[in-house]
Amino acid sequence: MKASKQAQRDAKQLFQACLVDGALDEDRARAAAAALAEKKPRGYHGIMAHFQKLVQMDVDKRTANVSSAIALDDKARHHIKANLTKNYGENVQINFLVDEGLIGGLRVQIGSDVYDGSVRTRLNTLNDSF
Amino acid sequence: MSTILEDIQAQISGVKTSVAKENVGIVRQIGDGAAKIEGLTGAMLNEMLDFGNGVTGLALNLEETEVGAIILGDYTSVKEGQEVKTTGKLLQVPVGKELLGRVVNSLGEALDGKGDIKTDNAYPVEKIAPGIIQRKSVSQPVQTGIMPVDAMIPIGRGQRELIIGDRSTGKTTVAIDTIINNANANQRAVDEGDTDYRPLYCIYVAVGQKQSNVANTIQVLEENGAMKWTIVVNAAASDSATNQYLAPFAGAAMGEYFMDNNMDALIIYDDLSKHAVAYRQVSLILKRPSGREAYPGDVFYLHSRLLERSARLSEKAGGGSLTALPIIETQMGDVSAYIPTNVISITDGQIYLETDLFYQGIRPAISVGLSVSRVGSAAQIKAMKQVAGKTKLELAQFRELAAFAQFGSDLDAKTQAQLERGKRIVELFKQQQYNPIPVEEQVAVLWSMQNNYFDTIDVDKIKDCQAKMQEHLRDRKADLLGKIKAEGKVSDEIAEELKTTIGEFIDTYK
Repeated sequence: MKASKQAQRDAKQLFQACLVDGALDEDRARAAAAALAEKKPRGYHGIMAHFQKLVQMDVDKRTANVSSAIALDDKARHHIKANLTKNYGENVQINFLVDEGLIGGLRVQIGSDVYDGSVRTRLNTLNDSF
Repeated sequence: MSTILEDIQAQISGVKTSVAKENVGIVRQIGDGAAKIEGLTGAMLNEMLDFGNGVTGLALNLEETEVGAIILGDYTSVKEGQEVKTTGKLLQVPVGKELLGRVVNSLGEALDGKGDIKTDNAYPVEKIAPGIIQRKSVSQPVQTGIMPVDAMIPIGRGQRELIIGDRSTGKTTVAIDTIINNANANQRAVDEGDTDYRPLYCIYVAVGQKQSNVANTIQVLEENGAMKWTIVVNAAASDSATNQYLAPFAGAAMGEYFMDNNMDALIIYDDLSKHAVAYRQVSLILKRPSGREAYPGDVFYLHSRLLERSARLSEKAGGGSLTALPIIETQMGDVSAYIPTNVISITDGQIYLETDLFYQGIRPAISVGLSVSRVGSAAQIKAMKQVAGKTKLELAQFRELAAFAQFGSDLDAKTQAQLERGKRIVELFKQQQYNPIPVEEQVAVLWSMQNNYFDTIDVDKIKDCQAKMQEHLRDRKADLLGKIKAEGKVSDEIAEELKTTIGEFIDTYK
């Protein structure tokens, strides 16, 4: 649902209250959501929807989805994890996924940032260039 | 066959294979030419976005959790859930002399069916206007070929002069006459091998116009040989609001190419009222807060940043100029409405066209009292200053006295003379559309008027006398006209020659 401007402002305030040293504290976030659901302030649906969006964005920023055409071995996973941790910090959560449609190579998405070295994308780029 | 294989191999090896970081988002909402995109955290304002399948967009709204973008091109192919990427580029349009004689859309793509346009340069559609140090004061004239304008409301190269009036008062005609006159002057300079003359290239931006009107305008320009010096940027009424919003900026980018490369250009925005309406539509669809008359709060900035890009540059900064003739349509003569007052305050003067004058037969229907050029005589050649200096005052006196003429009462000789002079000036300033008058002929006609040669001609014969006088000068006294043009002033020698020539003509005419 589309939250009103006031609901968005309230949700943002709530979200910022859940930050500890710039990072989202999950316990606080859970407590905030529970309190909202219990107390049901005016426009709480909109506030909760927008709060969820903000939390989702924060979680996405710290979550890396690594897609490959075949399952990666431990060595490859370890290498990727080291690189991602170096660039995005220790808190990054890494999920390894298999997508045969990639044909080969890797696709890493963290939040809105995408590193796409898959064969499928390279073939598409080649196709577009013709 | 082997050449094809080599070409394909070169193509394959030319394609970049390194993995680059991209910023992506997902379309959450699409409709009315605007898309809401989740993600795209790295998007910047006015950045081009790639929707895939050749569809691009512009990021206009950067909100906390989403980006609002307008689609350039066919938005019906964009679907919810589609991936969108940032491109890291600003919207650019092709610029250069290759565009002259062509009709293009807001993205610089050809619309006239004469093939793709290949240019070496591209300029960004949104650009910061030149600063103070880069500018030079306006001192070269733009000859519109319309006598009341060139005599009393002179326009200079680098000036912004607003053309304002109700519907069907001749606003576009003033602009087209200016284009035709400058095209004629450009062609004369080419034919005569005059390397000192700086040609004026023209850009006509049609925003929200009927396609038939634009087609007629193009035909008029072609018939008068003006199209080869003109670029037409067309965003018709049937185009999306996005295209209508971008068209003036695209035209300004094309004009800036000439300005930055020591050339002079003239740009006509026809019209900015429709441009403001298109911007209002885009802003409302993007859910931006609306203000007075539902226009967004930055509608003034929309026009100020567009018109500030017209300037005269110093030699160091490029040496060229971009003159702007924005057009605004008023409703029932209301110049105190929102958009008209905005643009009046931005421009360096206005040419006000009145419906009453139009229906009285005074065409161009220029209200001399309400029209002004803030550059003034700095943009006139000396000859024009000499002959037209008192004209505005005489017309003002005539208008004051005209009320008495209705009573038919006994008026003293001086008043009668002023009234008669005023009637003749009004008659002289009437002009057929698409018939601009070269400046040297204007000087000769106005000199004749100032020296009372028209006083003995009946008011209803003034136009005929003027036409025959001009024909006589062109056919028999082309060297005299040439001298006026070359010297740029009415010297004693030229005055003597004019006295003889005009005197003989008037005697023959009577």
